[in-house]
Amino acid sequence: MPELYSSSPLPIRDDLLAAHTQAWERIARPGTWWDGTARVAIAAETRQASHSALCRRRKEALSPLAVEGDHDSLGQLPELAVEVVHRVRTDPGRLGESWYRSVIARGLSEEQYVEIVSVIAHVVAIDTMAHGLGLDPLLLPDPEPGVPTRRRPAGAKPGGAWVPWLEPADAIDAEAGIYPSGRPPANIMKAMSLVPDEVRSFFDLVSHQYLPGEVMRDFAHEYRAISHAQIELLAARVSALNQCLY
Amino acid sequence: MLLRASGPTHDRAYDLGAVTGVIDGDGGVPHGSLLVAFAEAVLGDDDVALIRARGAVQKTLGAAGLVDAAGVVGLFNAIDRVADATGIPLEPEKAAASADFRAALDLDRFAVAMRT
Repeated sequence: MPELYSSSPLPIRDDLLAAHTQAWERIARPGTWWDGTARVAIAAETRQASHSALCRRRKEALSPLAVEGDHDSLGQLPELAVEVVHRVRTDPGRLGESWYRSVIARGLSEEQYVEIVSVIAHVVAIDTMAHGLGLDPLLLPDPEPGVPTRRRPAGAKPGGAWVPWLEPADAIDAEAGIYPSGRPPANIMKAMSLVPDEVRSFFDLVSHQYLPGEVMRDFAHEYRAISHAQIELLAARVSALNQCLY
Repeated sequence: MLLRASGPTHDRAYDLGAVTGVIDGDGGVPHGSLLVAFAEAVLGDDDVALIRARGAVQKTLGAAGLVDAAGVVGLFNAIDRVADATGIPLEPEKAAASADFRAALDLDRFAVAMRT
């Protein structure tokens, strides 16, 4: 894979470059429930969703469920996966539990759903940053061969979210390291714990593109070129624009 | 909530109205209005506004500040999708700590709050 950001006129921190390189390479590899070809297709569909006429009409409608039609998809994924990618990418603030349950009832597994959400999140984080900086989106990687591991954490069970999650006390060696030690994990960390490798990967991105967990509350020291208060103002404004209370 | 929590360390009280657009201005955060305009432009559709906001952030906070700001905007644009797509609830301690400003700023109108 060519070095990312090699033509960027802006100084991308070395640790951030390394985190993005790792995330991009990982998208191309077989995951837990989708193979490399499907994972790259999910990444491509995440970008395609922004151009979907159906998504645009649904976004403008009082209720997204009131607008029917077919997605303008790339045709590389099952229709149900395309529906998830497009809805999560374009109108996340109006997703509801009944919609999630209907997706699962129509045949997508909970584990497949979580892994799709994770790939979307990786692509959105990296693409949005590039857009903000005026850089071209990174070229998607070439898929790597291999088969998904298909391993569901034995201790995963229904919790407070729509998706089952893994409580720290139920984690075994195979799930080691997905949660911080010495403090309970935030729900956002448990959200994707049905697929532990996605937690590891996404929160590595969090550490470099935002802040590592251990310094988030260290308000006496600054770790970036902008201050804690400036970082948190940006984060909160983005969440407000996305109508996300969490 | 970390914005509010960071205030006492620097003997500042931030106006969280800047988060929801209820007030104009910095909200007490240095160059806060520039950063809010940048976040809005990145998530918006106005290319001219984005070029202007990007330039203003770079001029004021430097190229490294711009990179870090864009990184945070990108990351939270993703985290919001994880939260919304998995239906996670707000933790009880966070809900209690934020109840006053959620009410004052009418944040509970947001969909996730309705579902929890």
